Amino acid sequence: MNGVHDVLAPAGPQALALFHLWNAMLVACVVVFALTMAVLAVALWRAPRAGERTRPDLDAHPRREATLRRSVVWGIAGSSVLLVVLLFASFFADRALSALPLADAVHIDLVGHQFWWEAHYEPNSPERTFATANELHVPVGRPVLIRLRADDVIHSLWVPSLGGKKDLIPGRESTLALRADRAGTYRGQCAEFCGYQHAKMALVVVAEPPADYERWRAAQRAPAREPATAQERRGLALVEQTSCAMCHAIHGTRARARRAPDLTHVASRGWLGAGAVENTPELRAEWIARAQKFKPGVNMPPLDAAPDDLAAMSAYLGSLR
Amino acid sequence: MSSRCRDRALVLAVAGVAGALTAACEREARDFLPPRPGAQVAPAASAPASAAAIALAAAMVGRYEHNAYAISAGKRLFAWYNCSGCHANGGGGSGPALMDDVWIYGGDAGTVYLTIANGRPNGMPAFAGRIPEDQLWQLAAYVRSLAGLASADAAPNRDDAFLTRTPESFADPAKPETVKPAVATGRPQ
Amino acid sequence: MRALAAVAFAAAAQAAALAAPGDPGDWPMAAHDYASTRFSPLADITPANAATLRLAFTFSTGVVRGHEAAPLVVGNTMFIVTPYPNVVFALDLSQPGAPLRWRFEPKPEAFAQGVACCDVVNRGLAYEDGKVFLNTLDNQTIAIDAAHGKELWRFRAGDIRTGETRTMAPLVVKGRVLIGNSGGEYGVRGWLIALDAAKGKELWRAYSTGPDRDVLIGADYKPFYAKERGSDLGVRTWPADAWKVGGGTVWGWISYDPELDLVYYGTANPGPWNAEQRPGDNKFTSGLFARDLATGQARWFYQLSPHDEFDYDAVNENVLIDLAVAGKPRKVLVHPDRNGYVYVIDRASGEVVSATPFVQVNTSTGVDLATGELRYAPGKRQRTGTVVRDICPAAPGGKDWQPSAYSPRTQLLYLPHQNLCQDQETTQVGYIAGTPYVGATIQMKPGPGGHRGRVTAWDPAAAKARWTIDEDLPVWSGALATGGDLVFYGTMDGWFKAVDANSGRLVWQFKTGSGIVGQPISYRGPDGRQYVAVLSGVGGWAGAVVAGDLDTRDGSAAGGFASAMRDLKQRTTKGGMLYVFALP
Repeated sequence: MNGVHDVLAPAGPQALALFHLWNAMLVACVVVFALTMAVLAVALWRAPRAGERTRPDLDAHPRREATLRRSVVWGIAGSSVLLVVLLFASFFADRALSALPLADAVHIDLVGHQFWWEAHYEPNSPERTFATANELHVPVGRPVLIRLRADDVIHSLWVPSLGGKKDLIPGRESTLALRADRAGTYRGQCAEFCGYQHAKMALVVVAEPPADYERWRAAQRAPAREPATAQERRGLALVEQTSCAMCHAIHGTRARARRAPDLTHVASRGWLGAGAVENTPELRAEWIARAQKFKPGVNMPPLDAAPDDLAAMSAYLGSLR
Repeated sequence: MSSRCRDRALVLAVAGVAGALTAACEREARDFLPPRPGAQVAPAASAPASAAAIALAAAMVGRYEHNAYAISAGKRLFAWYNCSGCHANGGGGSGPALMDDVWIYGGDAGTVYLTIANGRPNGMPAFAGRIPEDQLWQLAAYVRSLAGLASADAAPNRDDAFLTRTPESFADPAKPETVKPAVATGRPQ
Repeated sequence: MRALAAVAFAAAAQAAALAAPGDPGDWPMAAHDYASTRFSPLADITPANAATLRLAFTFSTGVVRGHEAAPLVVGNTMFIVTPYPNVVFALDLSQPGAPLRWRFEPKPEAFAQGVACCDVVNRGLAYEDGKVFLNTLDNQTIAIDAAHGKELWRFRAGDIRTGETRTMAPLVVKGRVLIGNSGGEYGVRGWLIALDAAKGKELWRAYSTGPDRDVLIGADYKPFYAKERGSDLGVRTWPADAWKVGGGTVWGWISYDPELDLVYYGTANPGPWNAEQRPGDNKFTSGLFARDLATGQARWFYQLSPHDEFDYDAVNENVLIDLAVAGKPRKVLVHPDRNGYVYVIDRASGEVVSATPFVQVNTSTGVDLATGELRYAPGKRQRTGTVVRDICPAAPGGKDWQPSAYSPRTQLLYLPHQNLCQDQETTQVGYIAGTPYVGATIQMKPGPGGHRGRVTAWDPAAAKARWTIDEDLPVWSGALATGGDLVFYGTMDGWFKAVDANSGRLVWQFKTGSGIVGQPISYRGPDGRQYVAVLSGVGGWAGAVVAGDLDTRDGSAAGGFASAMRDLKQRTTKGGMLYVFALP
């Protein structure tokens, strides 16, 4: 999945707070490292040169105790100062993270599954809610409040350019607040080992200008596009009558299950399988037939369909923009 | 220890470890990559299962009953496909109990598969053609585990969800439900 | 709500003059009359002589599932309907032993048994003008010639393969047969249909969800509360197209007021039980409708449990009485609801006069009479993936379908009901046609006090209980009130009891062969004597562990009843018998 996936390229205040904290730690560590290396270099340079059999001449260094004590004191003092500085840095970063203003936030319910992300926008409002999967769009400059839950095992949401990690724990709810201040596509990742395909559980957050976001939102709320050609009609019939409808939902059709990603607007998404394959016509058909080839261990079973039927289903799903 | 004792002990130890490993291998084996027998679902396959399919199913379910992954996949599908809506967690509801020792049509692996695949006239829907064959086998293996007929070390243990019964791995087919005595209430009848 | 204290009720409450058509010795419809009083004016049997009641005759139905029906008596004939396979028997009461006059076997499809959520019950027949009307489990309504048992017509609507069934007792009014469907646990969209009694043609159909033209909401619709006003609420209070699988079935009781010409009935719970999957108020589920009999157009609607999370259907009976409210007589309906409140509602306008809890309720804190809103308790809200414990009342509610009886002599409403709480886990659920669409696992347990059942004599004027009888098992049978000031009911372990209507004192009981979940009736036989009849045969949702041979080691079996009924198999066995009693 393409997208900015870089802790060092913060695109919002949450990531920025963490980026500052990271910098503070980096500076502190670099300073400490440099000092330590410098001291080591000095010690090596000034070490008395003696042969192996020469006994050290302790009498010639009357003030070694004082030097030792001074070094220890300086070491402890310096470390303490740095620790306190880092403590304050952490405290301020925490405050910054929790101080994100949440007025007019976009509410998203995110449920982590093996191995995909289920998203419901505005979950408490019957007139505004809709479902999607694996790809979130957010308006630039508006806060996003994500309620995190898990369906099976512990997952963790991490969109590095927008914020830090937050676990999704079955039986518990947590929230994550983000804001994207720059338009762009940001990649996220499941950050808690959750099974075979933990590595292929990606999420994409597309931050776009508010007008574009509203357009996307309106499109997502609409029911699925009616099939236009005979092939698409056959594809819809197959999707409703075979295994697809046992797990997937397509609003406006007879497919109303809820165990797998919502496909109502699947063709509007750039990737399938939480970043496993690109959503192109060829790869889509291959994914439908043999998801296990791209992502062994995923819950979607292979489909043994005649090539015409597979093409019809792929064409229909490809029309669901 | 004498050299002979030591050798014998060594042989036993190696055999024991090898046995445990192979048993564990069978219990934990996961086979995702196709071709996998029965992994596909053919759309609109609505013909009743053939004798060959039943025989294959009986063999595969027998294998799956020793595979923890297959039984746990069956448990997941049991919830996903709403089997628990009619059968609860084995106690039954609008559908019969699956955890007792009464089987209306038969409780052997092949018959349980057939029941799930083709349905039954008193209200069991048919799932063949709507889900792949190997999911039918996984479900059959799980149903057998509800009654304690699967391997106890492969059957699911206590899960994190709301506990309504003792776990499948503790189910004992030799000890079906006993009718509970009346609770004395001291109230005149 | 207890703001009832502000409203002064006069002591004089009059039963509505909605006498049953025909002979007062008959029992022509399941509820006895259109006001649903279930009151027989016959007064031969009294507390003084009830101890001598004895068995007059019996009749074995040959079916051993839950017998929830009320027998009907018209003239010399008694009509009984059995659970699936829904056989209808006509017994000749003029002969000794009430021999069989005819039997009618509709032969419903066996597959229907798999989609009946709560045992394969049937709650009764209907009768008008020499025709008996029967609902079968597989979605047929059949008119039968009462004299000879010949089929006159058959009406079909609904598909068992989407989980739809039919279990309610029809109501026939002025040539219109009113029927409703079952299947809210399968995502079935509910409706009420009026059929022409002569030919079985559909006259109108009112859905419980969907656009106004489907719900028959038009110019006549004048709900009392603002929250019920708006256009297409049956769509807009649901996400996407969830209303199409939204439930709101009509499997309970219907009443009729001939003066206002209005039909009153309740709609069932929304589907799925997992309420997070359907944000919004989910109209028009879990509420009461008043509709015009001729056209089906809605006059008013009141939603008792908006966005219901607890399976609190509103399908319980509506007893139509005249009650003095603040000194003025008002036409009201009294509705004891699943959500634990007895509602007194002005049946002309839909205004809630009072709502008083009759059991322990912790899912809500009361009804706001100004807005009509049920105030849910925040501590018991359901969340997917979590377990909420000690929810009171449990899913069967303070009282389920088992109908109450009202005596105009004592002016008390006799409620047979249960005392159950539950733990519930809410889970994600996908809709797969023909499979349950629930998303909740529950385990019930006895409520406070430990008794699982109760009979409450409720005074609607004072809005409190006059007396109660605690029963060990849920009281899943209907109640009968008689002019001799007796109340009859049955227990789930088979005792058929008569108690003094004024005090609740037990005056007589008889142990039948199986638990009683049916509705007792009283009639005058051809010999002039008063008889009391009831069907015995345990089952229904509460008795499913016996009727279905379920395994109570799984506490969530029988829709959660198993954990509360682990001793039922010891207390009773399956059966199917009519018992008729009389004085010697």
